[in-house]
Amino acid sequence: MRYLLQDQEHQGVISQHINLRHLIFDFLYAVTISALIAVFLTIIGIGDSFLPVLIISESFGISISSLINLLFWLVKPQKITSVISILIMGVAGGTLIGLYLGPFMLRQFFPMALQWTPRNLLQAIILAIVFGGAISYFFFSRTRLKVSRLEIQQERIRRLSTEKEALEANLKLLQAQIEPHFLFNTLSNILSLIDTSPDRGKAMLVDLIHYLRTSLSRTRHDLITLNQEIEIIHAYLNILKIRMGERLRFMIELPDNLKEQPFPPMLLQPLVENAVKHGLEPQIRGGEILIKIEEKDGLVRAEIIDNGIGFTSCSEAGVGMINVRKRLRLLYGERGRLLIEENKPTGVKAVVEVPKGGDHHHDP
Amino acid sequence: MTHKAIIADDEKELRTYLKSLLAADWPDLVICGEAENGKEALELVEAERPQVVFLDIRMPGLSGLEVAKKIAGVCHIVFVTAYDQYAVEAFEREAVDYLVKPVSRERLMQTIQRLKNHLDVSPAPPAGLTAVVEHVLASLNTKKAGDFLHWIRVQIKDSVRLIPVREVDYFQAKDKYTLVITEDGESLIRKSIKELTSELDPDQFWQIHRSTIVNVSKIEKVSRSITGRGILRLKERPELLNVSRNYLHLFKQM
Repeated sequence: MRYLLQDQEHQGVISQHINLRHLIFDFLYAVTISALIAVFLTIIGIGDSFLPVLIISESFGISISSLINLLFWLVKPQKITSVISILIMGVAGGTLIGLYLGPFMLRQFFPMALQWTPRNLLQAIILAIVFGGAISYFFFSRTRLKVSRLEIQQERIRRLSTEKEALEANLKLLQAQIEPHFLFNTLSNILSLIDTSPDRGKAMLVDLIHYLRTSLSRTRHDLITLNQEIEIIHAYLNILKIRMGERLRFMIELPDNLKEQPFPPMLLQPLVENAVKHGLEPQIRGGEILIKIEEKDGLVRAEIIDNGIGFTSCSEAGVGMINVRKRLRLLYGERGRLLIEENKPTGVKAVVEVPKGGDHHHDP
Repeated sequence: MTHKAIIADDEKELRTYLKSLLAADWPDLVICGEAENGKEALELVEAERPQVVFLDIRMPGLSGLEVAKKIAGVCHIVFVTAYDQYAVEAFEREAVDYLVKPVSRERLMQTIQRLKNHLDVSPAPPAGLTAVVEHVLASLNTKKAGDFLHWIRVQIKDSVRLIPVREVDYFQAKDKYTLVITEDGESLIRKSIKELTSELDPDQFWQIHRSTIVNVSKIEKVSRSITGRGILRLKERPELLNVSRNYLHLFKQM
C-alpha cells in the first residue's frame, strides 16, 4: 500500500513549503538576493548611494517572494503550468506592490520623497525583473524537482502494479485451465481402465482430450455455441462420473432452440467445477448437479445447482468464479451477470445471465 | 510371513489399480480392506490392524493426513497423492513413504522394498511421522486464508444471495444495518460495522471511519484536505469517502 502514501504526499508536495522553516528560509533568500542585487546596482552606478537602492531592492524582493508564497498557499498548484502562472502573477503583482512600498519605506528612513520619473521607474522595473527571475528560478527548480521525482515514482509504481496484475491474471487463468489434481487423477483412472475395461478407458480419454483442447485454447474471446459449451461440460462431468461413481449424479437441460445461441467458451464450466470441487467432493455421500438453461425476458439464463455442502462463510470464493464475473463484465457490460445463491436445503445455485443473441459489448 | 494392508482412496478405479499392481509385485501382501473415505479408513485400521496403510491424501470427510495423525505409530503409512506439491516435498525431506498418481510400477517396487525392510527389522512403524504430518497439515491450513469472512449473505425476498467479500467495494453503516456496496449495486445486511470489523480479514479490509469499512484493493488514492481530514477515492466509483483522523495512520508508510 505504499503508493497510497506517495499519492498523499503528492497532494501536499508543491505547496508543502508552507511551513515556518520554509517561510523563514524563503524570506532570508529574498533578503539576500535583494541585497546582492542592490550591491550589484550600486557597483554599476545605478542609484546615487547604496542604502536607498538597498531599501528599494528589498521592497521589491520581499513583496514578490511573499506574494508568490501567498499564492502557492492559496492555490496549491498541482501542475507545472499552474506553478509557472503563479510565478508570473507573483512577479507582476509583487512589482506593483514594490512600486508603492519602495518609496513608502524610503520616506521612513530618509527625509526625501521618491518621485517616479521615467528614468528611475525603468531602473526599478529592471530591478524587479532581475529579482523576479532569480526568485522564480529558485521556486521553479525546487518545485519541478519534486514533481519530476514524484512522477517517476508514480510511474514506476503504476508499471509495477500493472505488471503484477497481468502476471497474476495469467497465472490464475492457467491454474483455472488445468487443475493438476484433476489431470493426474484422471490419467490414473485411464491407466487402470486400460487393463480392466479398455472401452471405458478409451471413452474417458476421448472426453479428457475434448475437455483439454477447449480449456487450453488461447482464443478465449471467440464465441462458440451454447451446445458446444454444454458438450465440454458433459465431457468434464463424464470424467468425474467415472471417478466418483455413485457419488456424482448430474442432469443437463438445454432446450433445442438455445443450442445455437452464441456463447463464450469456458464460462459455465468453472461454475460446474466449483460445484463439484467445493460442493460435492468434500461430501462423503456426494450429491447432484443440475444444469438448467432457459430463455427469460430476452436473456439466456443458465443455472448450475448442486446440493453439496455449500459455502460456509469462511470458504473462499474460487478464482474461477471471480474470473467468470470479470469476463461477463468485459463481454456484456451491465447486461451480463453472475449471481450466487444458497440452494435449498443445501448447496449452491449459480446463475449466469447473458443477452440472447450474444451481441456483445466488445471483445476482451 | 504375510502382511496385511488396506487401501484408502475415494476413487474405486484407483483402488483397483493399486491392488492389481500390489498383487503382481507383492503377492504375499493381503489386502484386507478398501476404504472410500477417511472415516472408513480409520474403522478398517481399528478392525483389521493392518501393518501397512495406503492413504490417499484427498478424501472426503477426513483427509489422508488427518487419518495419518490418528494412526501414526500403529501401522506403516504410504501416502498416495495426485499432486500435493508441498506434502510431497515434506515427505521427500523426511523420508516418508509416498506414491504419486498415476502410480508407476518401478516406483511402487522401491516402496515395496522399503516396506519389506522396515517390516523385517521391526514390526513397529517409524516414529516421527506425526511431526511431519502436523507440519504439512498446518501449512495446508494457513494456505486456506484463515478463518475470515469470505461471503456476505444477503436475504433477497425468499432467497439468500452470496456476495464474495473480495468483490465488495465498501461497507457503510446505515441506521442499525450495513450497506454492502459492490459494482453490481447495494444491499442491506443485518451485520453491524463492528461485527464486520472483527470478522473480515484486516489485511484486505480497513475501517477508515466509524461507519465505513473499505476494501483495500479497491482504493485508488487518499488525499488530505485543508482541515487535515483524509479523503479516499475508490477505483471505478464516483463517490469520495471520509477517513477519520483516527484511521489516517493506516495510510502512513507501512
